[in-house]
Amino acid sequence: MAHQPSLLIVDDETNVALTLQMVFEREGYAVRTANSCAGALKLLENGHIFDAVITDLNMEKENIGLEVARAALRLHPKPAVVLCTGYASVDNSAAALQMKVDYLATKPVDLEELKRAVSRLMAFRNEKQ
Amino acid sequence: MSDTIKTTKTALIVHADMSVLSAFQSSFVGKGYVAILARDPPTALLALTQHFFDVAVISSRLAEGGDGWPLAGVVHLIFPKAFVGVLTPETNVLTLQAAINNGVTQIFDASSNPDHVVNTSLGSQQIGSINPSAEPGTSIH
Repeated sequence: MAHQPSLLIVDDETNVALTLQMVFEREGYAVRTANSCAGALKLLENGHIFDAVITDLNMEKENIGLEVARAALRLHPKPAVVLCTGYASVDNSAAALQMKVDYLATKPVDLEELKRAVSRLMAFRNEKQ
Repeated sequence: MSDTIKTTKTALIVHADMSVLSAFQSSFVGKGYVAILARDPPTALLALTQHFFDVAVISSRLAEGGDGWPLAGVVHLIFPKAFVGVLTPETNVLTLQAAINNGVTQIFDASSNPDHVVNTSLGSQQIGSINPSAEPGTSIH
């Protein structure tokens, strides 16, 4: 049986998280959601394995999505990490580049582009590992 | 029987300006690298089919503005462990987004000193693993 890819979606706007969950479940992903950085960190640090993580940038605090990305990028195997934000700045984008975040999507998110990016990043990740 | 091991490191430099290419060439060769030079995307793509690259330094503007980014993305997809640096005229959110989404390791100001760019790229490439007896050189495509 084929492995069902798993995805963590982190966004403090419940509607955004649910919409992305619906979109990616239709694509065949097993999706977990978290509505805060703290919730996401709990999932990431409790041994859940995710193939990809999509996180908002500004939640409890400005740029706290970088903490989610940092925690995800420390995992082995490393999930593909996508930042979604409507508030990209030179500072937070430079931090994301330095951390080797895999993709930066700006809100409003183009869903087709996001689906394509996640699919491509996961294929690339599977090829590398 | 021992396996053949690739010991000489190879750098791809892609820039429309011959004088910039020449400056990067000197700097990489001085550090023991083989430098492969290209002035446009088709020539760079040809070089990608013929060499194994450890480092690539690419101008974000080759034939037209922004065409260096997808080339950098292709280098990253083919050589995921390579350092990919892009020279860009300005640093803003769009250039940083292009860098992230194309798997670029680091961006540099277009006017950066080639030695600085080369030293930074080599810093991530474990300089000590270069075979000192290997013949550094340059190939212009």
